[in-house]
Amino acid sequence: MLIEVENLSVKYDDSVALQDINFKLEHPSLLVIMGPNGAGKTTLLKALLGLVDYQGRVKIFGKDPEEARGTMGYMPQRDRVNTGIPLRVKDVVLMPLLSRYYFGLKREDVESAKEALARVNMLSYWNRNFSALSGGEQQRVFLARVLAQNSKILILDEPFSATDVSTKMKMAKILHELKKEKTIIIVTHDVNPLVECTDKLLLLRKKIIAYGNVMDVLNEENMERLYGVKVPIIRKENVCYVLGSDVHVHR
Amino acid sequence: MFTVDVWLLRAIIAIFLIAIVSAIMGSYSVFRGSTFMVSGIAHGALAGAALGIFLALYFFHANYLLVALIFSILFALGIAYASHKKENVDVATGVMFALSMSIAILFLSLIREYASVAWGLIVGDLLLLSESDIEIMLVSVFAIVLLFLIFHRRILFSIFDPDGALSVGIHPWLYESLLFVMIAIGVVVLLKGVGAILVYALLIIPAAASKRLASSVASSMLLSFIIALGAGLGGIFLSIYTAISPSAYAGLIATGIYFLTMFKR
Repeated sequence: MLIEVENLSVKYDDSVALQDINFKLEHPSLLVIMGPNGAGKTTLLKALLGLVDYQGRVKIFGKDPEEARGTMGYMPQRDRVNTGIPLRVKDVVLMPLLSRYYFGLKREDVESAKEALARVNMLSYWNRNFSALSGGEQQRVFLARVLAQNSKILILDEPFSATDVSTKMKMAKILHELKKEKTIIIVTHDVNPLVECTDKLLLLRKKIIAYGNVMDVLNEENMERLYGVKVPIIRKENVCYVLGSDVHVHR
Repeated sequence: MFTVDVWLLRAIIAIFLIAIVSAIMGSYSVFRGSTFMVSGIAHGALAGAALGIFLALYFFHANYLLVALIFSILFALGIAYASHKKENVDVATGVMFALSMSIAILFLSLIREYASVAWGLIVGDLLLLSESDIEIMLVSVFAIVLLFLIFHRRILFSIFDPDGALSVGIHPWLYESLLFVMIAIGVVVLLKGVGAILVYALLIIPAAASKRLASSVASSMLLSFIIALGAGLGGIFLSIYTAISPSAYAGLIATGIYFLTMFKR
């Protein structure tokens, strides 16, 4: 078992961000976390990374999150980074690698960064100004940054925000390939691009509304409990659709 | 004749040091979006200077510029702590600004006839720098450059992506605090030369102008150095011929360059 979460609770001052979270996840696999704004999705990711104080038990490969940080790569929400710095794409991708030491540049780090950028089809952007890229391109650069760290676990916070359909599908394809060797945990409002490769779906609203296989979890009753409104879902044999979008789930 | 040359030489050395501070700390202040803090620290240092003069008059000898430096570092750490506690940096700066100015006025009232020395830090004068002023500036700039060389990658990561930095074990609040302290040191370096009001002109304006033109952090810092050096040297030489404060000219040249960069497409 890769990740074990038992009775996890997080409080910010007096407000409860997460309450009594329990789940287990095997390696390698792809977990999608969905929920309304303020549901505690990012807080859950931060608890897994050991970035927030929590109560309960979290184990990553049997270790506490702080000890297991080296095995995890984190892609933050795009709007939480400071784009007012004139960084080039290579600076962004190399940043976590170079921060491990104080001087110089290791050839293997440059190679890892280039390989990662090539994997997201962004190698030609190596010297481009990061701030001048579109939202979707910036997301791909951040994905490359996580890949360059060569971590066993990828934790991605809303990787599809500000991306068009084409970019979403390209990123989903990359994640589909990656999940053969890595465990990927994704917070997203849009499960559409990932339904075919998602192993587990976790519906979160401070507490777990539902957790399990996509076909078992993605139903109208759970979606109404999650969002507080009716979200029509149409099922046909081994595929289900969320009406009004192109969500489809294969059994 | 010889005396004039020494003052001029000191002014040129000071401008060179100020340009280094502008390139490093000015750029990082602009990148971090903490430019108001620079102004706040500059005025806060006045309180430290007033305290230094008060101590020298009634208790023991204290270099008022050193006391201003210590005071500014405490000011910066206060803001860093407030920021760590999720307070807006501008609000924290405003609070510290008010506190510092209250202390400044308190001590300025107590030192009366010597208050003009502290008030001199408001306007500054590049052509009136003493040997000990230059020594303090040299040591301060050396400290800034050294800290920058060692920690610039982690500082940059911390201000670009605090969550990402924390996820790899870099504590952003620690490096943000270090950055604030370095900015405080940089501000005091500029204080005696250009004054609290025009610190902004030579610390922030060259960095803001260069950021508009540069495509990388390194080129932004290099451009900032060139603009600050050009504005400072231009200010000194215009001052020699017109007997007007070099800080005024330096500020006008720097802001003029900034306005020119606005025409860049």
